[in-house]
Amino acid sequence: MKKLKITNEIRLGMVLVGLMAVLSIISPRFLSLSNLSNVIWSICIIGILASGAIYPRITGGIDLSLGSMAALTGIIVDMFMNKMGIHWIPAILLTMVIGGLIGLFNGFIVAKIKVPAFVVTMAAKTYLYGVALVVSEGAMLAIMKPAPFISIGSDKLLGLPIPIYLMLTLVVISQFVLKRTSFGRQVMAVGSNEVAAKLSGVDPDRVRLVAYTISGITSAIGGVVLASLTRQTFAAAASGIELDVMTALVIGGTSAVGGRGSVVGALLGAIMVAFIVNGLNLLNIPAPFHPIVTGTVIILALLLNEGYLVPKKLAGGMKNQKQAAA
Amino acid sequence: MITQTNANDVLLVCRQIVKSYNGPLVLDKVDFSVKRGEVHALVGENGAGKSTIIKVITGATNRNSGDMMFDGQVIPLNHSRNKAQDLGIGVIFQELSLIPGMTVAQNIFLTKEPFFPGTRFINHRLMNRNAQELIDRYQFPLKATDVIDKLSIAQRQLVEILKAMSMNAKLMIMDEPTSSLTKTEVAMLFEIIRKLKSDGISVLYISHRMEEIYALADRVTVLRDGKLVAVLDKEQISPAEIIRLMIGHKLEENALAHKLEPKDGEVVLEVKDLTSVGKFEKVSFKLHKGEILGLGGLVGSGRTEVVRAIYGIDPIDEGSITYLGKPYKPSVLRSIKSGIGFIPEERRLQGILATLSITHNVGITNLDRLAPKFVLNLKKEGEFSREGIKLVNVKPPVPEQLVGNLSGGNQQKVVLAKWLIRNLKLVIIDEPTVGIDIGAKDEIYTHIKNLASQGVSILLVSSDLPELTRLSDRIIVLRKGKVFTEFKDCVVTSEKILRAASGILEEA
Amino acid sequence: MPASATFFIRRFPVSSHAVRRLILIGLMVAIAGLITSINPVFLTMGNLQKLFQEAAQVGIIAVGFTLVMITAGIDMSIGGIVAITAMVSINILSYTKIPVPVFVPLLLLVGAFVGFINGYLITKFKLPEFIVTLAVRSVLSGLALVIAVKDSLGFVQNVYIQNDQYLWFGTQTFGSIYRTTIAFVILGVATQLFIKNTRAGTNIYAAGANPVAAKLSGVNTERTVLGVYVFSGICASMAAIFISSRMMTAMPELGIGSEMDVIASVVIGGTPFTGGVGDIWGTMLGSLFLALIKNGILKTGISPWYQPIAIGGIIVVTVIVDVWQKKAHEKLTARAKLRKLDAEARKSAA
Repeated sequence: MKKLKITNEIRLGMVLVGLMAVLSIISPRFLSLSNLSNVIWSICIIGILASGAIYPRITGGIDLSLGSMAALTGIIVDMFMNKMGIHWIPAILLTMVIGGLIGLFNGFIVAKIKVPAFVVTMAAKTYLYGVALVVSEGAMLAIMKPAPFISIGSDKLLGLPIPIYLMLTLVVISQFVLKRTSFGRQVMAVGSNEVAAKLSGVDPDRVRLVAYTISGITSAIGGVVLASLTRQTFAAAASGIELDVMTALVIGGTSAVGGRGSVVGALLGAIMVAFIVNGLNLLNIPAPFHPIVTGTVIILALLLNEGYLVPKKLAGGMKNQKQAAA
Repeated sequence: MITQTNANDVLLVCRQIVKSYNGPLVLDKVDFSVKRGEVHALVGENGAGKSTIIKVITGATNRNSGDMMFDGQVIPLNHSRNKAQDLGIGVIFQELSLIPGMTVAQNIFLTKEPFFPGTRFINHRLMNRNAQELIDRYQFPLKATDVIDKLSIAQRQLVEILKAMSMNAKLMIMDEPTSSLTKTEVAMLFEIIRKLKSDGISVLYISHRMEEIYALADRVTVLRDGKLVAVLDKEQISPAEIIRLMIGHKLEENALAHKLEPKDGEVVLEVKDLTSVGKFEKVSFKLHKGEILGLGGLVGSGRTEVVRAIYGIDPIDEGSITYLGKPYKPSVLRSIKSGIGFIPEERRLQGILATLSITHNVGITNLDRLAPKFVLNLKKEGEFSREGIKLVNVKPPVPEQLVGNLSGGNQQKVVLAKWLIRNLKLVIIDEPTVGIDIGAKDEIYTHIKNLASQGVSILLVSSDLPELTRLSDRIIVLRKGKVFTEFKDCVVTSEKILRAASGILEEA
Repeated sequence: MPASATFFIRRFPVSSHAVRRLILIGLMVAIAGLITSINPVFLTMGNLQKLFQEAAQVGIIAVGFTLVMITAGIDMSIGGIVAITAMVSINILSYTKIPVPVFVPLLLLVGAFVGFINGYLITKFKLPEFIVTLAVRSVLSGLALVIAVKDSLGFVQNVYIQNDQYLWFGTQTFGSIYRTTIAFVILGVATQLFIKNTRAGTNIYAAGANPVAAKLSGVNTERTVLGVYVFSGICASMAAIFISSRMMTAMPELGIGSEMDVIASVVIGGTPFTGGVGDIWGTMLGSLFLALIKNGILKTGISPWYQPIAIGGIIVVTVIVDVWQKKAHEKLTARAKLRKLDAEARKSAA
């Protein structure tokens, strides 16, 4: 186990540190607290979503409904608290349940009816957006109360905003589940070789059902945190965040083909992308260039994952992994 | 050098063909020829080199050395599929080579569709007509406009044949073409082969089925261990003789004869009239404690299907199973829980989690012991992994090693390990040593024998005859989905098993 | 049409594809009737013209997308291609005097070029289609913003197109049909003829249905797949021309978000994601159906918020029905095969 860590997550960590060094040289403002706290909240949301979305991905599927789910759950939790007067704690829990049920529904269509995952979740992305529009009546809802709910997003503990702790907790839990539980082993097995997993007593259908449910729950948590952080919620919130989450997963080494993946890696990937975007901001590179850079980064990350663009010595190892998967 | 005498009636000549895939010789100076207008059978056991010589002829792979001439033209060392096609060498693949969703005519003329004169628009009517002409010439039960999805395997084979014919094939290579055909379809195929022959087209026919060779072949080439053993003319062909040549008539043959010792302990597994429509029929046998029961038979005789049904992967239509004295309704999970293990036929596709570590692979069947309450006991997982590695001697003994990077033999050892560290009562092993080097083979044999001596019952499916005779305490031979005969408390040789598998009943 | 079950209506064999199309047409007629009864304005010439034009705008992109789907691929960058093409067009219109007949064909090259990059990454580097095209879309959306015409403060300007020649494309009718619609029909028919009657077209089906077999038969699958992405890009660019012309302006977000409409059109039309099957007639019907639903929702006073629900829902339902249909078909063929085996066994026993 230890050897693996040095190769993947730690390698990512080193790249990240290197990136930070470069950025702080380029712009002395980079390491300032005010700058970093700007970056942090997007990392939070992506991290929360990635910690759940990694499960469908490893099993060979994908969850594209993340953004719509986050928006919808933000609207729902606001509705619970401020229109139906439910106390904020059960409101959040109820929202998470709803997120899980929607995820379960997606997972059912993928696992039992055997419809390709990206169609199912892409369609979900669309109709959930519509539902969000209907429930919010197309309006942008400002969330001013209840106070404890707001404080989730705005309060700080030891100088760091609470959402960071939430995100880190989820990442740790998810990484733990993935690497140290029976379920996690089953998820990796299904992603690596579904037939062999089945012969070994794993139920791929059930694993997939749970995987998509988990993704639904974390999307709900992300939506709640987003609503609290931004103090508003609307149907188009977090639109397009799926791509950022996928980018983070890809950079973090998650492969849909080989049953490989790491939540910590995804988090590091998310941080990297956020820093790159932040760096572009600090360099006063106008906003339109950001998606150009992130798009290129994804393509580079994909090429790297497949074993290209790398000096021969390292490529040998990666190509071996690919052949092993073949 | 290739002599020019009789050059006219020889279509294909191969001289001293040598082929190796980074290692042992797969073809060892093989001489091989096919005459014009003859049906030539190619026989040999698995691993004798039949598929390889075919690949060399069709250009799917290249020989290391040796001369080849086809239809008077020299075939260079850098032969290719396209060149083979152009020369007139056709191959029948079965599933691989047809495009679903397209008609017979479309498949035949893919990339060669006829145009309207002066344009690049496909003339469908002309294409269909041309296809139908081909079909009618051989009186195939096909229509040019049939969509191949609706056709049976036999009919699809016909389409493949037509495809080759449309490219003016002079040699038609058929590799085990009858394995999925019904009796009437086989008869039809024979008719077609005879017609091809009368049209001057040679047929190279690879098969295990002696009765077919006897009925069809003008000559038979026997390969064994990558070498040419004999070329028989029609009068010399007899199934028994061919089998004898395939197995080998060396003195060591007697050493390979085994005395089957009966093991009559308690009955661990009893199977009665097990039937799965289209796969196997009324299979019955008993398995005793500590006994290794070998299942012999030709490819397609239903052995794998039977054991898969017992393990619980495939459904059973009729029949009953009694396990440990109680009626048993198989399911994979139940089997694992009840102490049954399963080592599947195809190691890479079904056996290993290639992108995961040895530890992960060993643990996957043992999650009930490693994580009774959801959380994994990492220490135990590591112990299991090391225990497994030690037990089967995996090299290199590194638990984090990705199984995909191991050699074939070591991969199979990992597959064994994940079961061996459990408390098994019954293990089903399907083709344990395919593509594995000798050293690893012996190790695996030792493990199998140890298991048995510890009281574990074993169902062993194997097409490797020496392996089957060496390991088994008792052997059942399946033929076309039914139990054909049983070898018990007697001396067996590979030859005897193969004869039984080929349907030749021995006089006592 | 490939791989369909055969139903018998009064002993007349009908393929399941035809049945599906008929049901779709029937549904459309029924829905149209329903909408008209609620709001007779629906059936007016003016509204129908607009409806067909809406269908055509999505449909032009969908034609190219269909070919990609037939090869079992997917192109998520189409929205980005529309955006960048529109922006290039606006720039040329605003800053140069290049005549329309010259630069409009060049705009198609924009899509071709992007399509080539997509295809290259996918075929030569074997990168996963979905993520790659999504990444390209990202890059294109940013590029579109970069080259967008901006005012002195750096804000994106809403440039009104006044070039009559350019407006000819989208705002004028030919008789009573918008040119966009005509272009759509011509493109659709031409593409359908192409895929059914040329070797290249047949190769597209082959590469999607069974790439291994196709290769063995001599099909250059890499070149075929590459070509398909190039064509998809060209179609997206073409759509951009008509859309920006009709709207008489273009913002850099043009087209972003059209992916779902395109996918819905193709899926409803009966082209599955698994490849090897599909045709343009289905896509054309699908685009029309989608436009009908969207227009109908507006005309019957249902809130436009229900549009995405309808679209997403229809996609899911259609795909589920497809899977069930396939399973039922497989069961039928399996049963037929068993019956044959049975008959044979009985014959040989006799």
